[in-house]
Amino acid sequence: MTLVDLVEVCTLSEVPDGEGIKITIEGLPALAVYRVGEEVFVSDDLCTHGDASLSEGELDIEDYVIECPFHQGGFDIRTGSVAGAPCTRPIRVYEAWIKNGLVYIKKQDL
Amino acid sequence: MYMVTLQGTQEQFECKKGEPILRAGLRAGFGLPYECSVGGCGTCKFDVLEGQVEMLWPEAPGLSDRDKRKGRMLACQAVPLEDCIIKMRLDKECIPPVLPVNRSVGLIERYKITHDIEAFRFKSEGPAIFKAGQYALLTSPKIEGARAYSMSNLSNDEGIWEFQIRNVPEGLMTRHLFDQINIGDKLELDGPYGVAFFKNTGRDVVCVAGGSGLAPMVSIAKAFSEDPACKEHTLHFLYGARTPSDVCGEDMLQELAGFGDRIFYHAIVSNPETLTQDEWDGPVGLVHTHIYDVLDGNLQEYEYYFAGPPKMATAIDTLLLEKYDVASSQLHYDRFF
Ligand SMILES: Cc1cc2nc3c(=O)[nH]c(=O)nc-3n(C[C@H](O)[C@H](O)[C@H](O)COP(=O)(O)OP(=O)(O)OC[C@H]3O[C@@H](n4cnc5c(N)ncnc54)[C@H](O)[C@@H]3O)c2cc1C
Ligand code: FES
Ligand code: FES
Repeated sequence: MTLVDLVEVCTLSEVPDGEGIKITIEGLPALAVYRVGEEVFVSDDLCTHGDASLSEGELDIEDYVIECPFHQGGFDIRTGSVAGAPCTRPIRVYEAWIKNGLVYIKKQDL
Repeated sequence: MYMVTLQGTQEQFECKKGEPILRAGLRAGFGLPYECSVGGCGTCKFDVLEGQVEMLWPEAPGLSDRDKRKGRMLACQAVPLEDCIIKMRLDKECIPPVLPVNRSVGLIERYKITHDIEAFRFKSEGPAIFKAGQYALLTSPKIEGARAYSMSNLSNDEGIWEFQIRNVPEGLMTRHLFDQINIGDKLELDGPYGVAFFKNTGRDVVCVAGGSGLAPMVSIAKAFSEDPACKEHTLHFLYGARTPSDVCGEDMLQELAGFGDRIFYHAIVSNPETLTQDEWDGPVGLVHTHIYDVLDGNLQEYEYYFAGPPKMATAIDTLLLEKYDVASSQLHYDRFF
């Protein structure tokens, strides 16, 4: 993997530990970037159940679940799979890397 | 009577002893988020900030273990034991178009539709006011919890509430309705509820019903047929049946103005292994896989209504949103938990 295949999303230090932030990059759907210690995860920010921003939700670090702030549905931030009603459709997740304090996702995921 | 306050707002409503918070809030005209009203969907979750609140059905499947660990509750199953403050984000889509009311209804007629679906007609004292596609909650003192049933008729001044109910062999309310109540017997009916009701948006309409999802789709087809603003539009009605003996609904649509001309019926059978060609020569497979074939042109230009098993609803939702990029605002559904 070369850096050319990667898209820079944000810096690691921008993302508070145990929380998510919303990042908008031109030409991409809004992204939510989550941090659990030194690990980062990236998903679409828009909940698959309705009009809500997952980065504003509660991140459960022990089971890697983001809870939607609207109806408290949940998604596993590692796989995107549904982790709680009323959500039924998985959220898209992006493989993420940290390099020199910057967070990247793979271009072909987009 | 207890006072329920929504955190962060000045909004308050009264809740009778034993009444679920969801119903009290909707009765007061607030858009408390919900879908099923019976503990299945998880849309009505909330946090209790102050006051004692009890879940009538603590095992309701709409709550995950994580929700329970966090002390979250379902508004459709939660009753206050004192004044309380709750945290819940309101949704203007859920503001009731008709305020739900609890009343007594009497059974006036009952007849067979298929080998396992029967029509039940009830009558109330006052008028039966609801939107096409909505449901009512029926309760019996002998059964814990309410059951949702969608009306198959239209709003009327005579107080007629018509349902099409599937005979679920081991079901508690089903057994009560099918085996225990007689013409003239009374039940409690609370409603109308439901957000997947018909709105004329100036688009062609698609109705998809699976199994007992027939009733609300028939009601929507009736409303469409009668609405002068829909005269220039088409409605495609897809019915997903398990076997040919489950196929139903066409005769109900045939009675409507515009049938065959702007209202079209399509039955799809999902369990073809057991079939010979004499038994069924129509389309086979899961109903959602036929939506594309039935419609003309761009799928993004239709308004979609669907009702039936949760799996069917998710399959349609996924297909339309992810494959055909239909806007989620054009999708309206009830999942029959
Ligand atoms: C919005 C909606 C609309 C529906 N419309 C129709 C319709 O038009 N026609 C039709 O045939 N069916 C419809 N259903 C399904 C119907 O509501 C019942 O689930 C079905 O008739 C089986 O009920 P039962 O009591 O016979 O079965 P049971 O197996 O005894 O009960 C099933 C349902 O009852 C609820 N329940 C079970 N235990 C409890 C408890 N302790 N406390 C509270 N609730 C409990 C749960 O929601 C459960 O899914 C609809 C469901 C929903 C959600
Ligand atoms: S909008 Fe996310 S759970 Fe409903
Ligand atoms: S509305 Fe309460 S769980 Fe569906």
